[in-house]
Amino acid sequence: MRRRRTVTLPAAHPRRALAAGVVLVLAAGPVALASAPGPAAPATTAPAADLGSRLYLEQCASCHGPQGQGSQRGPSLIGVGPASVDFQLSTGRMPVTQEVQQSSRRPPVFSPEEISALVDHVASFGGGGPQIPRVGPGDVVPGRDLFAANCAPCHGATGSGAVLTNGWIAPPLYDASPTQVAEAVRVGPGLMPAFPSQVLTDRQVDDLTGYVRELRGERLDRGGNPLGRLGPLAEGLVAWAVVLGLLVGAVRWLSRRAGE
Amino acid sequence: MILGSLARALDDRFRLSPITRRALAKVFPDHWSFMLGEIALYSFVTLILTGVYLTFFFDASSADRVYHGSYAPLDGATTSAAYASTVRLSWDVRAGLLIRQTHHWAALAFVAAIMLHLARIFFTGAFRKPRELNWLIGVTMLALALANGFTGYSMPDDLVSGLGLRIITSVVESIPVVGTWLVALALAGEFPSDEMIPRMFVTHVLLVPAVLVALISLHLGAVVRQKHTQFPGPGRTEHNVVGSRLWPSYTLRTLALFSWILAVLFALGGLVQINPVWLYGPFEPAQSTSPAQPDWYVAWGDGALRLFPPWEFRVGGYLVPAPFFPGVVLGGLTFLLLYLWPFLERWRTGDRQLHQLLDRPRDHPARIGIGVCALTFYGLLVVAAGDDILARLLRVPVYDLLTLFRILVLVLPVLAGVLAFLVARALRRGEASSLGELTRADLRRATRPAPRRPAGQDEPEVPDLHRPGQVELWPEGALWRWRYRDDTGQVTLTSNRAVTSREEAVGAARLAYPGVDRAVVPGPPPPPPPGRVRTALRRWGRAAAAGSLLVGLLLDHRRRGGRRGPPPPDPAEPGSPPADEPAGPSGRP
Amino acid sequence: MNGGTQPKAERAASRRIAGAFLVSAAGAIGFAVTYGLDGGTQWEGVCLAVAFAGLAVGLAVWSRRLVRVGGYVEEHEGFTPPPAEQAMTAAVLHAPDSPTRRWGLLAALGFALTALGVAALFPLRSLLPSDRQRPARSLKDTPWGPGVRLVDGEGRPLRPEDVPADTLVGVFPEGGVDVGDAPAFAVRLDPGRFIRQPAGGHLGGLAVWSLLCTHAGCPVRLYLKGTGRVLCPCHQSSFDLLAGARPVAGPAARPLPGLPVEVGSDGYLRATGDFTSPPGAGFWSRP
Repeated sequence: MRRRRTVTLPAAHPRRALAAGVVLVLAAGPVALASAPGPAAPATTAPAADLGSRLYLEQCASCHGPQGQGSQRGPSLIGVGPASVDFQLSTGRMPVTQEVQQSSRRPPVFSPEEISALVDHVASFGGGGPQIPRVGPGDVVPGRDLFAANCAPCHGATGSGAVLTNGWIAPPLYDASPTQVAEAVRVGPGLMPAFPSQVLTDRQVDDLTGYVRELRGERLDRGGNPLGRLGPLAEGLVAWAVVLGLLVGAVRWLSRRAGE
Repeated sequence: MILGSLARALDDRFRLSPITRRALAKVFPDHWSFMLGEIALYSFVTLILTGVYLTFFFDASSADRVYHGSYAPLDGATTSAAYASTVRLSWDVRAGLLIRQTHHWAALAFVAAIMLHLARIFFTGAFRKPRELNWLIGVTMLALALANGFTGYSMPDDLVSGLGLRIITSVVESIPVVGTWLVALALAGEFPSDEMIPRMFVTHVLLVPAVLVALISLHLGAVVRQKHTQFPGPGRTEHNVVGSRLWPSYTLRTLALFSWILAVLFALGGLVQINPVWLYGPFEPAQSTSPAQPDWYVAWGDGALRLFPPWEFRVGGYLVPAPFFPGVVLGGLTFLLLYLWPFLERWRTGDRQLHQLLDRPRDHPARIGIGVCALTFYGLLVVAAGDDILARLLRVPVYDLLTLFRILVLVLPVLAGVLAFLVARALRRGEASSLGELTRADLRRATRPAPRRPAGQDEPEVPDLHRPGQVELWPEGALWRWRYRDDTGQVTLTSNRAVTSREEAVGAARLAYPGVDRAVVPGPPPPPPPGRVRTALRRWGRAAAAGSLLVGLLLDHRRRGGRRGPPPPDPAEPGSPPADEPAGPSGRP
Repeated sequence: MNGGTQPKAERAASRRIAGAFLVSAAGAIGFAVTYGLDGGTQWEGVCLAVAFAGLAVGLAVWSRRLVRVGGYVEEHEGFTPPPAEQAMTAAVLHAPDSPTRRWGLLAALGFALTALGVAALFPLRSLLPSDRQRPARSLKDTPWGPGVRLVDGEGRPLRPEDVPADTLVGVFPEGGVDVGDAPAFAVRLDPGRFIRQPAGGHLGGLAVWSLLCTHAGCPVRLYLKGTGRVLCPCHQSSFDLLAGARPVAGPAARPLPGLPVEVGSDGYLRATGDFTSPPGAGFWSRP
């Protein structure tokens, strides 16, 4: 049985995106920020920027470099974009304590405010990159079609995830929030291909996330226990267990001579 | 009353009572393994019952159809009629999903039960003369079951089954010379053809089931005509069958099994989701999903396709593609060997005897070795078909697993086979009666060559026909009955039916126990039904048990005393010889 | 003593059996009610299961407690018929007027039946596709050809800039989105990283290959960005796009066929020919 997992609800992303945008507009770059915030800068951004740079230096800089330039232990963050940073932090994939090939989903280390601050701080390294998408309500019918065409090959038509080569996996999608799904679509974390707006429009991303949200619900498991939605081999295992346990067991019991 | 007059009316017209009487008295062995085939039979009945219901709702066509219904992600989407009707059946037809899922679970159980039944027949040597033909029928039914399972799985036209169908098509295409023609013949075109689903439907609901029903009838007819085999035991010979009668005990038992199978399958159908095609989506030639696996019973082929290395070569400029060997050659060899096994074994052992008594599996170490080797091989292939799922669960790279399986599939079956061979030989030679009692010394001894001549070693153990025992005959009104009692008095086997004359009773007893002494007794009542004794034992605890045992012993003692009185047992039937001796020769012209 | 306990035990068993049958009836009624109320698959299944399980338990207890189990023997006639019997059957079969004696007629009959049997095979030919094309021929041909535009899954023609780096775009021949052997995919790779040139050539790194695995024909839609590899979900064959899409792991033996493309005068991508070799799984007469 697929566990009913607690879904960490995303914080109000539009607001966070707005904040990021404001910061980007106001702070032209790290230099501008570093050189003592002028009186023009709103008072509210200063603590956030402080928090962001402090957290970054504590948790991220050792691998990604103090200016996000990357090192042998971690890739450059210049130009990855807010969507990528938010995705990695809000799914708990970053920070990691040791180098791993593919970090997996964990409860996020940072609070939504801290993530927001870090997103802003990394954005200050420059380079642009995809913004955190605002996910609107989508239509599940085209969403299903888009999912089948673009996502099902790796994540499975049921969203249960699958294995790739060399120990990489395409994770299950049941825990991902709509924003995280949209971020992953735009960014393409790890080995995942990215789907920029030439390939999928914002509207299509909304439809897609709508369908993933639908897929996540247990309402679709109308037939009963979904066996992890792993498909025919899991079903075969159950069939054998039942045949051996319940049917052959019954036959043995029935055939035992009552008088012996 | 009504039943009685109906029966009389039928009897007046068809004279059924002699046949019915004989049929109702048919004896079924009580060992549990004889009911494995019945699991398959009743799964098949369930398949037919649920399948007929499904045909009312399934639209076997690849024409475009717009689905409108309560499954929101497809509401308004255009798919094939087959897929749309399957989703409708699952989401909008009341009890449709229950029946559909039960049908699918029944299919999985059907093939599993066939496999178990096949293994039982194989390891106990039940396929030997005179039952080779029934073995062939059984193997054919296995092949048909696999084929029908596959078409049934493919008909909904969903994404997962579409991939499976594409793979099978590729496998058939790989056959030299005729491959592409066979595919064209089957599909009327290239792979996703419009004819594909209607043709699979006709095959699935008409052609194969009709053949299966015919073969099942033959299979059961042969069992009735040839009678059951049985394991060796006291009172069991090559010339009789010991067990329960069809009526009433076996009828009740088998109906209980049928009901239980229905209960289990409906429970599965209601509680465990199977093949959620709505989640998979309709088949599109450019779409894929992972993990992609077939149902377990064809997974061995899929596993072989995964494991076989990328070897292909050209013959005179023509291509023999890689799927040919794991797909066509392995499948063909598998069924060829299954078909040929009884004849191969006969050729190897030179055993042309009729066999009604089964081998214990250990009696033929070579057979069990080969059987375990084969089962391990196919089991590993099935597991290999899930290598991607395993890789994910174990968090290891899938290609490492692939390499591991490529080695295991060659090594492990041989090891398992040799181990099974040695264990069987140790069990046969040593004193250990079960696996648990086997010692290392037994195994070590088993590795040494056979002390006897290998030719003699394969001779099945002939039960001691001259084990002292006695057949007793007695009149019961105008009828005659007989029974067999062994020396110890522990085993008493009553004739399954009464006959009209003493000669007939003598003839039957003579058939069942050739060479066993016969005696006429005044007519002891049959022993109390064991079932009730057991109930009493359970209900009344040890004291009552001891008491009833004592009573039983006393009764037994008195009965023996009484029997010893009038007809002395040791001289060869002094009471009855005049009638008995000529009965044999005169009975056979 | 036995006489005293048996009826009691029997009565107890009868009570259990009747109870089980009552449970069964309750299950059946439950099923009817559940169906009437549209109670859902789970309740329907449970009710039916209870109904049949009740039957099963009742019948099983009945068969074990109230009827005699085992202890019967039936004689087995054996199957070696006495020679006399065989001779009699043979005599009937080969009676003087028996057809088996007329060898000549039998041979003629056999000939007629064989001819009929062979003739009956001919209509099977109608199962073949009606276009009377050799099947291998249609496997080699795809809708792709010179001038056929590349469209996406919704039928929109594609420009080169619609295929950015780091993504995989499924492409189809215009007007042939549903054709089984036509699906292809376009990716944009760094031309400097090509170890071997794509079979169909490339436009500044944009290259197009057949989507169908050369092993068993599944769509190799799993694109591992960055590694330049695609993976087949069915049997885990993997192809290195940077090395001419040759298979690098798994059971596939041949590289993916490429599709030669160009940018047409209208600015849209179009094929300049068919795939460089027949797409999908191999077959006997595959070149």
